[in-house]
Amino acid sequence: MATIPIGADRTLAAVRAARRGYRVLRGLPIVPLAILALLAAVAVLAPVLAPHGKLDPVKPTREQCLAKYSTPDCPYVDNAPPFWAAGGRLDTPLGTDSLGRDELSRLMHGARISLIVALTGTLFAGAIGTLLGVLAGYMGRWWDEIIMRITDAWLTLPSLVFAILLSSVREPGLWNVVLILALVFWSRYSRAVRGEVLALRERDFVKLAEINGIGKLTIIWRHLIPNVMNTVMVLFSLQVGVAVIIEASLSFLGFGVPPPEPSWGLMMAQERESLMEGRWWLEVFPGACITMLVLSANMLGDWLRVHLDPQLRNR
Amino acid sequence: MVTLAFAILSALTLTCGIAWGQSAPSQARPILSGPLAKLAIKDAQVATSRGTPKGTLNIGLHFGIDPGWLDPLGYHGAALQFYYLVHDALIKPMPQGEFTYSLAERAEVSADFRRAAFRLRPGLRFQDGQLLTTADVKWTYENYRGLNFKYLQEKLEHIQVVDDRTIIFHFKEPFLDFLDLYNGSGSGIGWIVPRHYYERVGKDGFRARPMGAGPFKFVSQEAGVQVSVEAWDQYWRRAPGVKTINVKAIRDLAARMAGLETGELDVAYGMTGKLLQRVMADPKLRWNPNFTAPWHMVFPGYNEPSSPFHDQRVRQAVSLAINRAFLAKQETQGIAKPWGNWISHETRDALRGDGTDLPVPPYDPAKAKQLLAAAGYPNGFDFDWYVPFVPYFDMAERILNDLRAVGLRSKVQMLDAPAYMAQMSKGRKGFPGNRTIVQRIDPRPGGAKELIRLYAVCGGQASYICEPRIESLWAKHEASLDVAERDRLSREIQRVVIEGYYLVPIYLQPFVHAVTQKVLPEGEAVHRYWDTQNAPFPWPWEVWEVKG
Amino acid sequence: MKRYVLVRALYSVVTLWLLVTIIFGLVRLTGDPVAMKAEAGADPAYVAQLRHSWGLDQPLHRQYLGFVSRLLRGDFGHSFEKSLPVRDIYFERLPNSLKLGFAAFLFSLALGVPFGMLSALKVNSWWDSAGKMVALLGLSMPGFFVGLVLIIIFGIQLGWLPVLGKGPSAVVLGEPSTWITFWFRDWAHLVMPAFALGWYFSGAMLRITRSGMLDVLGSDYIKLVRLKGVPESVVVAKHALKNSLIPVLTFAGLNLLVMVNVAIVIEVIFNWPGVGQLLYDALSNRDFPMVQGVVLMSGLLIVVLNFTIDVLYGYVDPRIRLSR
Repeated sequence: MATIPIGADRTLAAVRAARRGYRVLRGLPIVPLAILALLAAVAVLAPVLAPHGKLDPVKPTREQCLAKYSTPDCPYVDNAPPFWAAGGRLDTPLGTDSLGRDELSRLMHGARISLIVALTGTLFAGAIGTLLGVLAGYMGRWWDEIIMRITDAWLTLPSLVFAILLSSVREPGLWNVVLILALVFWSRYSRAVRGEVLALRERDFVKLAEINGIGKLTIIWRHLIPNVMNTVMVLFSLQVGVAVIIEASLSFLGFGVPPPEPSWGLMMAQERESLMEGRWWLEVFPGACITMLVLSANMLGDWLRVHLDPQLRNR
Repeated sequence: MVTLAFAILSALTLTCGIAWGQSAPSQARPILSGPLAKLAIKDAQVATSRGTPKGTLNIGLHFGIDPGWLDPLGYHGAALQFYYLVHDALIKPMPQGEFTYSLAERAEVSADFRRAAFRLRPGLRFQDGQLLTTADVKWTYENYRGLNFKYLQEKLEHIQVVDDRTIIFHFKEPFLDFLDLYNGSGSGIGWIVPRHYYERVGKDGFRARPMGAGPFKFVSQEAGVQVSVEAWDQYWRRAPGVKTINVKAIRDLAARMAGLETGELDVAYGMTGKLLQRVMADPKLRWNPNFTAPWHMVFPGYNEPSSPFHDQRVRQAVSLAINRAFLAKQETQGIAKPWGNWISHETRDALRGDGTDLPVPPYDPAKAKQLLAAAGYPNGFDFDWYVPFVPYFDMAERILNDLRAVGLRSKVQMLDAPAYMAQMSKGRKGFPGNRTIVQRIDPRPGGAKELIRLYAVCGGQASYICEPRIESLWAKHEASLDVAERDRLSREIQRVVIEGYYLVPIYLQPFVHAVTQKVLPEGEAVHRYWDTQNAPFPWPWEVWEVKG
Repeated sequence: MKRYVLVRALYSVVTLWLLVTIIFGLVRLTGDPVAMKAEAGADPAYVAQLRHSWGLDQPLHRQYLGFVSRLLRGDFGHSFEKSLPVRDIYFERLPNSLKLGFAAFLFSLALGVPFGMLSALKVNSWWDSAGKMVALLGLSMPGFFVGLVLIIIFGIQLGWLPVLGKGPSAVVLGEPSTWITFWFRDWAHLVMPAFALGWYFSGAMLRITRSGMLDVLGSDYIKLVRLKGVPESVVVAKHALKNSLIPVLTFAGLNLLVMVNVAIVIEVIFNWPGVGQLLYDALSNRDFPMVQGVVLMSGLLIVVLNFTIDVLYGYVDPRIRLSR
C-alpha cells in the first residue's frame, strides 16, 4: 500500500464528493425541476407578479370603451383580445375573460390554487395513509383486518367518482377540495406502506427493539416510519400529478373550487363557450398550464421512483 | 294550510263579454242549475281542414329529461311542455288565453264557487282508440298525487259523473281558485290520464311508455336523454304539422349552439348567455326573446335590526348601484328590459315595471353612496354572500362589480341547483347571519296574487318579508269577496313591496329560444309560436311546421 | 385452495358491504333531494308525500335495512330525478359507455402497442425518448383538455365531426336487431370522445408494452430462438410479440373496465349519454338511488374482477395461496 500524505486523503475525498455531486446533478431532471420551480415561484409571488387582480376586472381605457360600447366610460371590457391579435394590448397580454378580468393574472393565481390543493391534499392523504398503513402492518390482527378491508372498499371506487361524491357533501371551497383529495387518496398509501411494514417487522432492528422493551409507538415512530419514507416519497411525487388532474376535473365539472377563484379547471369550464367564438386562448392556456404542471410532476416522480425505491429501481 | 283565496274572478270578469264560439247546441246548453260565475274561457281553434304531418323537429332542451314528466299524476312544476306533446287537458293555457277550451267544450262554475261542471267534446278518444270519458276525468282527479294534490282533495266533497260527457265537482266550501289549478298550469290534475292503460301498465310502465289524448303519440325515450314522439293524426283539434318530434337534453350551451349550426337541432332553448351574440349574428337563425320573469334580489333577515339591510336606504342604494342597462348589454346583448316589479309583465294583475305602473329603477351610484353614508356606512361594508340563482354566476359577478363600486363588498356563493333550492325552501333559516343577498326569479304561471302569497307575505313559503303594512293589506284581500277591491289591494301590495325596496327587481329575463331555417313559416312570422302568455316554452306543439 | 377461494370470497363480500355502507352514508350527507323537486312555494302536503314515497321519512336505520334487503333482491330503487327503476336506466346507459370504452380501448391499443414495441426494440434511442414523452403526455393531459382541443379543431374549425352526443342509434330492449346494429352505427360521433378517452390510457399501454417486450426480449427463450438463426423480424413478430401481449391484454382488459367508470368528464364534455354522465346528472340533482346504484355497480364490477384475478393467480402461483 502506497503512503499517501494526510492532506491528500481529504483532497481526494473532496474531489470524489464533488464528482458524486456532479453526477447527481447531471442525473437530476433539470427541465421538470425548472418548470416546477418556476410555477412555484409564480404561485408564491402571484400577488406581486400579476399585472392585475385575480377577481377584479381590468379598468379599460377610454378608447377601449368607445370601441366596444361607443361610450367613453364603461366598468370593464370583456373578451379583450390577446396582444398578438388586432386590438390586443400588452397591458393584458393574454386578453381578458368574459368578465373583463386579466387572463394572465388569473393564470398566475391559478398556479397558487393548483399547487396548494395538490400539495396539501396529497400531503394529508400521505399522512393518513402512512399512519394507517403502519398501524395495519405493525399491529396486525384486527387492526390489519379492519384497516385493510376499509382500504379495499375505498380502492374499489374510481377516484374521480369518489371525489365527486364527496364534493357534494360539504359546501364547495378550496379546503373542501383538499379534504376530498386527502380522503380519496389515503388508501393508495396505506396499501403500499402496509406491505413494506410487513417486511420491516421481521427485520432484526425491529426485533431487537422489541426485545429491549421499547414501546410500540416508539418503534413505529423511530423505526418504521423513517424506513417507509422512501416509498411514501415516491408515491407522493406520483400522486401529486393525479391530484392536480382531479382538482382540475372537479373544478371543471363544477364540483371543485368555486368561482370567482381562478382555478385552471374552472377557468376552462367557464370559457367553454369562448371556443365557439374562436377565443381558443382562454381554453388552451389553462389547459397547457395543467399539462405542464402534471407533466413535470410526473417526470420528477419517475426520476424519484428510479432513484429512491429499491424495489422499483429494478423494474 | 293558508287559504288560497286568490280568485280568478277579476281576470275572468274583465272579459265576460266573450261569446261562446259558434253556439253549437250542446255547447250552449247549461249543466248547472242556479246562478253561474262569469268565466272567460276562450274557444278552441279547431282546424277546418286536416293537414298531413310531415318532417322532423329536433328540440334541444337545456336540462335533463325526467320520464316522470310524461305522467301528469306526478306533476311537480317543470313538465308542462311535455304534457302538451302527449296529453291533453279539459281547459289549458293556449295562445288564445290562459283559459282555453280543450277537451271540454263547456265549463261552468256556480256563483257560490261550490260546484264546477264540465262537458267534454263529443267523440273524444285516447291515442289507443279507447273512448275518453268522464270516468277518466274522475279517476285522474282521484289519483293525482302531484303538486297541490292534498289541497285539491281536501276541498272536494264528491265528483258526480252525470253521463259520459258531463261531470260535476262538488266542493266542501267556496273554491275560488279551482280553475287556476285545474287549467293545467297550477297542478297536473287537469291533464287527463287514460285509466285503463295506467292501471294495466302501472306507474313505471306508464312513465316508460306514456299514452294520452294529446296531439303526439309517444314513440321511444332514453331516460334523461331523449324523448321521441310521432304525430297522432286523429287529434281532435287538428292533425299536427310535424310528423316526428325529438326532444333532446343538451345541457351545454356550446353544444346546443353547435347543434343549431350543424342542423342537428332545429329549436334550442336557453340561448341567453355567452353565445347570444353568435345566435343574433347568424343569418340562418331566428330567435325569440321569450321574456319570462324579472330577476330580483331579496335580503333574507333584513328585518333584524342587526342586518345592514335593515335600513331601507341601504336597500335603495343596492338598487341604485346596479347598472341595469350595462348588465343587460353584457348578459343579454341588450335584450333584457330593466323592470320595476318582481312579477312578470304577462302575469294577471301585475303592475307593469316599465314606467306605466312602476318606474324603471334608475342607476345612480353617486346617490347610492350618499344613501349609504347617510345610513352610517360612508365606506360601505362587507356582507357575507351574494347567492345567485343557479347557474347565473357570471351575472352575479357583474352585479357584485357594480355593488363594489359603491362600497358593498361580498363574494358569490356558488351553490349547485339542489343546494340553492334547499336553502330557498328553508325560508329565512336558509340564510343565517342576515348579511346575504339572494338573487331569484320565478316564471310561474297564474296570477300576481300567487306570487304575493309566496314572496311578500309573512310566512309565505319563500318569503323573507314581514311587514305589518303588507300583512294588513293581505288580510283585507283574503277577507274580501269584492273582485275590484281584491284587485286594488293586490296592486297596492306590489307597490308597497317595490317602494319599500323589500325586493329589488333587476330586469326581465329573456330566455332566448332560437330556431333554424328548417322551421316554418319563414321570416318573422315564426314568432307566433311564442304567443302563449306567461309560458316559458312555445306550446302548443301541434301547430309547429317544418320543411319536409 | 378451497379455503383460499373461500377467504377471498368472504373478503369480497365484506368489501362490498363496506362499500354499500360508505355510499349509503355519504349519499345521505349530500343534502335533501326533496328540495330539488319541490320548488319554492310547494305545498307542505306534497313535500311530505314526496318524502314518504321516497322513503325519506323513515329513520335512518330503517332506510339502511330496506336499502340492503332490496339490494340483495337486485332492486336498486327508483330514481328520484328520472322516475324509473335505477336498474333499467343503468342498463339502458351501459351499452353507450361500453361502446365508448371499447372504442377508446381500440385507440389506446392502436397507439400504445406499436409505439411501445418500437421503444422496446430501440431502447435508449430517439424513438424510446419520444415514446416516453408521449406516454407521459398521455398521463399528464387532463381528458377534458384533450376533448376540448379536439372539439375546437375537428368539431368547430373544420366541422368534420359531430359534437352532439352519440347519434340516433340506441340499444332498444324490445328490438334485438338494435343490439347488434348499435355497435356499428354513428361512428363519426364516437371518434372524438373515444380518442380523448383512449389517449390517456395509451400512455399506460405504451409503458406496459415496452416493459413487457423488454422482459421477453431479454429472456432465455428468445435468446435461444435467436441462436437458432431465426431472422430478427420473425423473432419480434412471432415470438416476442406473442409473449409480451399477454400482460398487455390483461392490463387492457382492466383498463376497459376502468374506462367505463372514469369516463365522466369525457362523457359530460361530449354529451355522451353513458354511465358517467348519468352519475354526474344524478349527483348534480341529489338523486340518491341513482348515485347509489351507479357507484355500487362500478364497485361491484371491480370487486368481482379483483376476486377473479385473485383466484386465478392463486391457481397459477401456489405461493400466493399459501401466504395467507
